Amino acid sequence: MSQERIKVLLAKKKIDVHGRGSKLIARELRDAGMEVVYFRFGVAEEIAEAALQEDVDVVAVSIMTSGQMQVARELVPALKARGMTDVLVIMGGIIPEVDFEPLRELGVHRCFPPGLPGGVVADYIRENVGTASLA
Amino acid sequence: MTPKPSGKFEAAKETWAARRARYADRLRPATTLSGLPVKTVYTPEDMADCDLEEMPGAYPFTRGLHPDGYALTPWMQQMVFGYGTIEETRQKMEKMVAEGMEGYFGHKVFNTVYDVPCMYGIDADHPEAAGNLGQCGVHMSTGDDYDELIRDWDLETTNFSMITGDNCLPALALLAAAVERRGEPTQKMHGNSMNWYPRIAVQDIPSWEPRWGYALMIDLIKWAKDNAPAWNPANIFMYGLSEAGATPVQELAYGLSWGKSIIDAGLEAGLAPDDFIGRLSFQIGCTVNLFEEVAKFRAHRRMWAKICKDAGVTKPSNMHARVHVHTSGYVLTQQQLMNNNARITLQALAAVLGGVQSVHTCSYDEAVGVPTEESHRTALRTQQILMWESGVRDVADPLGGSYFIEKLTDEMEEAAWEIYEELEASGGYLRGLETGEIKRNIDNASYEMKKRINSGDLPVVGVNRYVSEQTENYEPFRIDESIEEKAKARLEAYRSKRDQAAVDQALEGVREACQALKDGTGPLMPALVEAARRGATNGEMMVPMREAFGWYVSE
Repeated sequence: MSQERIKVLLAKKKIDVHGRGSKLIARELRDAGMEVVYFRFGVAEEIAEAALQEDVDVVAVSIMTSGQMQVARELVPALKARGMTDVLVIMGGIIPEVDFEPLRELGVHRCFPPGLPGGVVADYIRENVGTASLA
Repeated sequence: MTPKPSGKFEAAKETWAARRARYADRLRPATTLSGLPVKTVYTPEDMADCDLEEMPGAYPFTRGLHPDGYALTPWMQQMVFGYGTIEETRQKMEKMVAEGMEGYFGHKVFNTVYDVPCMYGIDADHPEAAGNLGQCGVHMSTGDDYDELIRDWDLETTNFSMITGDNCLPALALLAAAVERRGEPTQKMHGNSMNWYPRIAVQDIPSWEPRWGYALMIDLIKWAKDNAPAWNPANIFMYGLSEAGATPVQELAYGLSWGKSIIDAGLEAGLAPDDFIGRLSFQIGCTVNLFEEVAKFRAHRRMWAKICKDAGVTKPSNMHARVHVHTSGYVLTQQQLMNNNARITLQALAAVLGGVQSVHTCSYDEAVGVPTEESHRTALRTQQILMWESGVRDVADPLGGSYFIEKLTDEMEEAAWEIYEELEASGGYLRGLETGEIKRNIDNASYEMKKRINSGDLPVVGVNRYVSEQTENYEPFRIDESIEEKAKARLEAYRSKRDQAAVDQALEGVREACQALKDGTGPLMPALVEAARRGATNGEMMVPMREAFGWYVSE
């Protein structure tokens, strides 16, 4: 994995307003040498479908105007149903810290607060991609 | 105007220069957030070119719109709120009134934010609404919802600002129908439609094709002019520009160009300058960078007045840049949450020293989620402390005449005109939207700022300075997910009691009116009001609109 370019699907709900944070992360992950597909979805099922088609290593979901639990509850089973059990799933944005653990229990490997240097996220991805499991 | 340097001043300057000679070359040159250089000291010499022969309340309004600033009546406290269904939000409205939130001369002001499904124009039963219903705003889509919104409020003394998105025409139609059901004329309506269709440069959600966005915007403005003359039919969303990453100077330039594009579209549609330009208003952002923000508001008033005058406005009050400030949410940090109260206080102070008409103060926990009752009240109280304890409202334009502020006001104006003129010369705001140029420039500014934060060059306390490893584990306000079932049940109950054939017929009327608006042969708003009278919902009205006016993804 370390030899290849890491491919990230950065997904944000169509109706989730303000794209500043997600677009910054897209750029910063690209700066870190990753390939980023930026994608606006309607329902979580579409993320899983896009992840499959794009054959990504990482699914990252950006949240601004809530809905993180609902997305996680649908996204993780949808990825599993497509056999994508080794994809790394992360979330970031306006998500309360107290939701990080419940989201982890739903299968989201890691959540990030807003405003972090993108390098922190990139480092986490590099260290964990290929070792994650949704099983 | 500027006093000639006297011998006394020259001597003072020499003493000053001598005292700093040992370290002056070690001083790190500072800049504003917009990148304008800032000196360590300003003197009368800096004001050589400043026009100081101005009074508040007179053109070009640099010193404020009103002759005595806030002395007659303070700024409007327009706290944004809204969550759950209208039932929860109605309780919140009453609570805010009880907390002393008020507008001019004690009028009630409700700055109500819709949830994102409503803004986008989908009803509670749409699959894409799941997870977002009633979360970051109120879900209001039926006639019943609007009846409850206005119940018992006196229309003459109550302002309904509706923070809508693409649904601002249907939302206004639903409000008008509710007013009619109460047996009152729409002429009594007071409030604000956001009419933010050209906001796709700043919020990336899909929206109308830009040219149709303008057609819709003007349609609403025309309807309001004839049916609700006290209604503010369009708000120029400069806040969106700065929150997306525009520097304060870019916010000025693009925001004023946005306003100019509305003026141009209105004139092209046959409106007279004094008939609509005075009803346009602004929502502007405000960062923690105190003096730059004060100068921004002063420059903004002056620039807008000039644009209005050039456009043919004759009545001075129609040249007023009426400004609502929403303190920047982007500057709030999730790290060391309570620090945000200091930021919000500085932001509100800058807005008020800048002489704005209305303020929303963010709550310290907005970096985590929807504010709690307590954080929301503290944000309101922050304004009220400024209003009643600090003395800042006693004197109009209290920083006017400051060497630094006057110079910075001029410099920001000059820098903003440069960007503005360039954009105007290349086709204006609409073209800048269509080519993506504005969005690209803002995104690049946002990226540059983030790099400065990452490197520590731009200090942010708790993020790149004085960092703590301690987690906050802050429990934010929760809107129970059962609200989704409640919203759906309300929708279903509403649908079951209406005359479906009449609704279908009215929606067909909307479809035809959409085509007429595209062809330039008729208005759309009357058909929407008729659909609202018959019982059509927010989401149902948006279906034929989306089909007619395209759906434009700008990312």
